[in-house]
Amino acid sequence: MNVVITPAMVGQVVVSGLLAGALYSMVALGLALIFGVMRVINVAHGTLLTMGAYTTFWWFRLLGVNPYLSLLVSMPVMFVVGIGLQRAMVRRVVNAPELSSLLLTFGISIALVNGLQLAFTSDLRTVEFLTGAFVVGGVALSKSRLVAFGFALVITLGAYWFLQATRFGKAIRATSQSPMVAMVCGVNVERVHLYTFGIASALAAAGGSLVAIMFAIQPEMGQVYTFKSFLVIVLGGAGNYPGALLGGMLLGLIEQLSSLFLTTQLSEAVAYVLLVLVLLVRPTGLLGGRAT
Amino acid sequence: MSDRVEASVLEISELTKRFGGVTAVNRCSLALAPGRIYGLIGPNGSGKTTLFDCITGLIVRDGGTVRFRGRRIDGLPPHRVAALGVGRTFQVIRVFPELTALENLLVVSRRDRDGALRRARELLAFVRLDELAAEYAGNLSYGQQKLLEFVRVLMLGPTVVLLDEPAAGVNRTLLNELLAAIRRLRDEGRTILIVEHDMKVVMGLCEHVFVLDYGEKIAEGPPEEIQRDERVIEAYFGR
Amino acid sequence: MRGLVVAGLAVALVLLVLYPMVASGYEIRFMLQLFMWVALAQSWNLISGLTGYVSFGHVAFFGTGAYATGILITTHGWHWAAASVAGGLAAAILALIIGYPCLRLKGPYFAIAMLGLNEVMRVLVSYFEGLTGGGMGLSLPTLYASVQIYYAMAIAALAVTGAAYLIVTSRFGLRLMTIREDEIAAAAMGIDTARHKLYAFLLSAFVPGVVGGLFARDQGYIEPIAVFPLAFTITMIVMALFGGKGTVWGPALGAATLFVLQELVWVRFLFLHQVLFGAIIILVVLFMPRGVLGVLQQRYRLPRYV
Repeated sequence: MNVVITPAMVGQVVVSGLLAGALYSMVALGLALIFGVMRVINVAHGTLLTMGAYTTFWWFRLLGVNPYLSLLVSMPVMFVVGIGLQRAMVRRVVNAPELSSLLLTFGISIALVNGLQLAFTSDLRTVEFLTGAFVVGGVALSKSRLVAFGFALVITLGAYWFLQATRFGKAIRATSQSPMVAMVCGVNVERVHLYTFGIASALAAAGGSLVAIMFAIQPEMGQVYTFKSFLVIVLGGAGNYPGALLGGMLLGLIEQLSSLFLTTQLSEAVAYVLLVLVLLVRPTGLLGGRAT
Repeated sequence: MSDRVEASVLEISELTKRFGGVTAVNRCSLALAPGRIYGLIGPNGSGKTTLFDCITGLIVRDGGTVRFRGRRIDGLPPHRVAALGVGRTFQVIRVFPELTALENLLVVSRRDRDGALRRARELLAFVRLDELAAEYAGNLSYGQQKLLEFVRVLMLGPTVVLLDEPAAGVNRTLLNELLAAIRRLRDEGRTILIVEHDMKVVMGLCEHVFVLDYGEKIAEGPPEEIQRDERVIEAYFGR
Repeated sequence: MRGLVVAGLAVALVLLVLYPMVASGYEIRFMLQLFMWVALAQSWNLISGLTGYVSFGHVAFFGTGAYATGILITTHGWHWAAASVAGGLAAAILALIIGYPCLRLKGPYFAIAMLGLNEVMRVLVSYFEGLTGGGMGLSLPTLYASVQIYYAMAIAALAVTGAAYLIVTSRFGLRLMTIREDEIAAAAMGIDTARHKLYAFLLSAFVPGVVGGLFARDQGYIEPIAVFPLAFTITMIVMALFGGKGTVWGPALGAATLFVLQELVWVRFLFLHQVLFGAIIILVVLFMPRGVLGVLQQRYRLPRYV
């Protein structure tokens, strides 16, 4: 292999990495919330993202209106779907051994993916909206990725503000610190669980909507995002919410950096090797977090 | 002084453990002679359980040494410490709930493998759990689980037994049996170190008491002396 | 009673031996696959059912065995039986490399690391095209050996069930369970938990390696997505769970029941197949997490060898 690295290439890596990273952060924050609050590993997280993506696709296909507006639909819709899932099933495996939550959410995921296939077929679907790129100093900035970056950043920061400043956000953080103490302090833990799953699903849906405008979508695409979200929360520290922001950016950069030297396939493996290494060196993530 | 050190079966010196900025155990030194019952007392959070954890290798100490029969055991993994002959019980009950009472004893590591079944039955009979041998430990009552955990550590054939609040939550009748059992262990030549909050138990049972406060040993001596010690009274009631 | 059980097992064994002489090609392959699932569910149970360490990427060992076997057959001309055993060894070596560090991880982190392992293996196999054929897959030379492979699968399933029997009824098995129940207390009772976990992990990886090799020989063609599917892991877990994880016969019972159900019922609903699979998983987790034998064992205080 003979790779000559120019400053423009490095710039491209950093920019593309950060652009992708913001979206990873947003999606992974949802997964981190569910894990932190309920000790549930939600394997269906990526599938909820896929459902958000299809919402945007059909919004654009049927109405022909600016697809970014579809976030106003996909997020609330998936918020409600998330609450429904929590209420009907997930609440039964809260604080159960990890095997239960892994299997349950996998079951939900496989059923939903199959439902999507039946309803919409497995064809690749695209939203032809914002195409093309700006070129600044030899660095190409895809327009749709730039916009997605903006949305992801605003939504993620909004979620942090919600966690930090609002009464309910504090209840969520208290519950993830210690459910017992939260309960004693008058927090309705069941309700916190319900809305946490709802919020997490809405974050996934926002990711799906933005992905749909950038890439072709199909029912099985979610799994990749589930895995990436695992990576992010491991890098950032499970149960450490600001860690998700850092983890997402880090994953974006690592992916882009390794794709400079390796094929796309191998760069995926790099991410997993890294996952295992980080787990071994710091089982609670780079930033640290709540141990189990 | 020096002959006592020579005779000690477990000797802890300058042991230190920090959690972040908090020093849970600070340069603690204790020496235990064989065949005696020792008490370890101190207010909540004074580092008693942390000390146990350091001795048994469940957490890695930051400084100091632990010697068992003259041999250093600090740095050894917990199963090695246990197999050498330093056994412990836990403050919160930690029986294996989905194993039967008998199985709870059979799994314990022993040098004498063939005698395990006989010894296990003996020990169950000793605490009158023999009829519940085939019952899952999780289905036993609190007191029964406490007794099961107490005899489980004896399966190790330990030279030193660390008991973390063995009397907590145990009713009067059971308590007297437990105390008798502990004395019997001492008579067999074992050394016992007990963390206990019930002062009556400590004063009635122990021959020598160590007092911890904020991770430091502030006093030691016979129970009658300890009761009158200014610093001890202050640690418990003052400030 | 004991004599009756032994006699029953002997009769079953004779029937299994004679079965290929009267069965059609489809029927032989049906039983062959059933044995495969019994072996897989049993092997998952050895690590996860007993120690509680959830191997959420157990199919990585299956795939590794399949590829090791496939490569030995195609490029080195090995006999499939020897190659399958080598496949098992390859899987065990992988387990040693990954298990030594990863078995220190607790709870969900171990599960996620194992999930990651499976992804890494799939990617690596796809990448080293020269050896594995990459995404194009690997074709094995044509060979009609269904009956022999049927016997080999049957031996694998019986052997791992026998091993499960020996382990669960031994002190070693009980010690594995103490790790599931309370690992810290186990260590404090002098049990070398790290060594016990590693042994169980190696054994539980060896069997899927062998079975993966037999699968590769039986299929005649393997590709990364066919031998590293997450769904395989889930299937073996659900089978073990349905029958009763941590028991001797539970995984076999679960594998037989769910496989027969799948072959006889679900295939008729081709479109809804995955939805039904998802529903079964959800139902098992929510309503019978202890499994059939687990419930019976608790209720009637059955000894562990049942």
